Amino acid sequence: MIQLLGFQPGYMPGDELKCHVQLQAIDPSSITAVETSVAWYTEGKGNEDLGVHFFQRLTGDTLHERDWSKPLLVESTLPESPLSYEGRLLKIRWCIRVRVYLADGTDMVAQEPFYLGTETKEI
Amino acid sequence: MSRFFRLYGKKRGHRMSGWWLAGRVGEAFWFAAICVLGVLSLSTMLVWQVLSPNTHAFPIASGFWLLVLISSSFIGIGAVGFFYRVLSVAYSDEHRSALANKTNDVKSTKTAKRDSLPPMVPNLQPFTDSPGVRLAFRLPGTRPETRELVLGSLFVLAWDALAMFLTVFAFGKLFSGKPDWFLTLFAVPMFIYVGFRVTHWFFLGFLRATGIGPTTIEIDDLPLTVGESYKLSLVQYGRLAVKKLSIALVCEEVATYHFGTDTRTERQEVFRREVLEQGRCRIDWGRPLELVCEFCLPDNAMHSFQSPHNAVAWKFIVEGEANRWPSYCRSFPVVVYPRGQKTNRRAARS
Repeated sequence: MIQLLGFQPGYMPGDELKCHVQLQAIDPSSITAVETSVAWYTEGKGNEDLGVHFFQRLTGDTLHERDWSKPLLVESTLPESPLSYEGRLLKIRWCIRVRVYLADGTDMVAQEPFYLGTETKEI
Repeated sequence: MSRFFRLYGKKRGHRMSGWWLAGRVGEAFWFAAICVLGVLSLSTMLVWQVLSPNTHAFPIASGFWLLVLISSSFIGIGAVGFFYRVLSVAYSDEHRSALANKTNDVKSTKTAKRDSLPPMVPNLQPFTDSPGVRLAFRLPGTRPETRELVLGSLFVLAWDALAMFLTVFAFGKLFSGKPDWFLTLFAVPMFIYVGFRVTHWFFLGFLRATGIGPTTIEIDDLPLTVGESYKLSLVQYGRLAVKKLSIALVCEEVATYHFGTDTRTERQEVFRREVLEQGRCRIDWGRPLELVCEFCLPDNAMHSFQSPHNAVAWKFIVEGEANRWPSYCRSFPVVVYPRGQKTNRRAARS
């Protein structure tokens, strides 16, 4: 579960993004790595582009020493650009993405979208 | 059984049926095999050449170097393909992007002050290279007909040279008493006719491109920032009786995508605002048309954006109609920064 710590999922450039990440219904001993990222990606007609603003990977001792009953705090200062955008051929989306790697070789992804900037759309 | 083991996958929208890992591992093995084949063939040839040059099937000549080139390209393609596939299996998309960011950060601290620029916004340097005469900066212009003209001139030169060569060759045979009637009566006239038509087309295009004089646009500040006002100056040179001349501020979305084995680019205009319009007037040599106007960028407009496959591009488009000339269109790209980037402008320019 990803929970944004703010009143609304809209942020301005330079704002501090804070969120809680909590893993539920997964046996912690079966987790081999957890990746948390704050990223933008494009949607639309063109091939998808992805840009990572913040990236954190927990593995090994750091991962196993962690008490997963308590949420993981993710903090990052948001950049000036690219701002979220709703266009015709192109959409730019921001999200917090958590990727959990399990011992059987599979991975699970969860993401929470948020909006960066004021309303920027094709006029 | 087929539920657990599939020989092939099916494309379902943006995803494939089946386990993605099997496909990636298969691709990695394929590229590894190409690399190994290249290494084996190259090492065999080199070792054979060094140890027993007399019995070598390919002595050092063009054939030998061609095989070395092919083997080396196999090694290169195989190694890069293998490395990329292994990377895509071992690291997630986000991890790879984060690694690429780290590399870019190292590069940017070594080369330029990229830190002060907003991320994913095009570099401002090419736009601030030319100082203006009336206002601070002269914008670099792009004329779509220039490329057509250059390529056309190359084609015309090549075609005319071929036609000339065939003519000389045909007449040489005719005067030596061994005429080639097909060449003389059919091929040469056809080549000369086509050559005449393409030369005519080229000179018409050349006249169009050079007859209407150059257009320059100057602006009082760069980069443009969303919600701000700017002063713009246009100068149109030449000798024209202008029917209509207009400048529009345009925003375009550009998307590049793969369609089968092709790479296609699609553009869509999402914003257009006329910032200046001029009716009938006369321009003469030494007396160019000079126009000044002010415009404002909309508050909720998107800033310029550039990523590997997608872009949001801003530009000024000058469209003109003149007597006895076809209508023309010239574009002048600009960079728009997000709001709140004013303090970084000076740093971006320097």
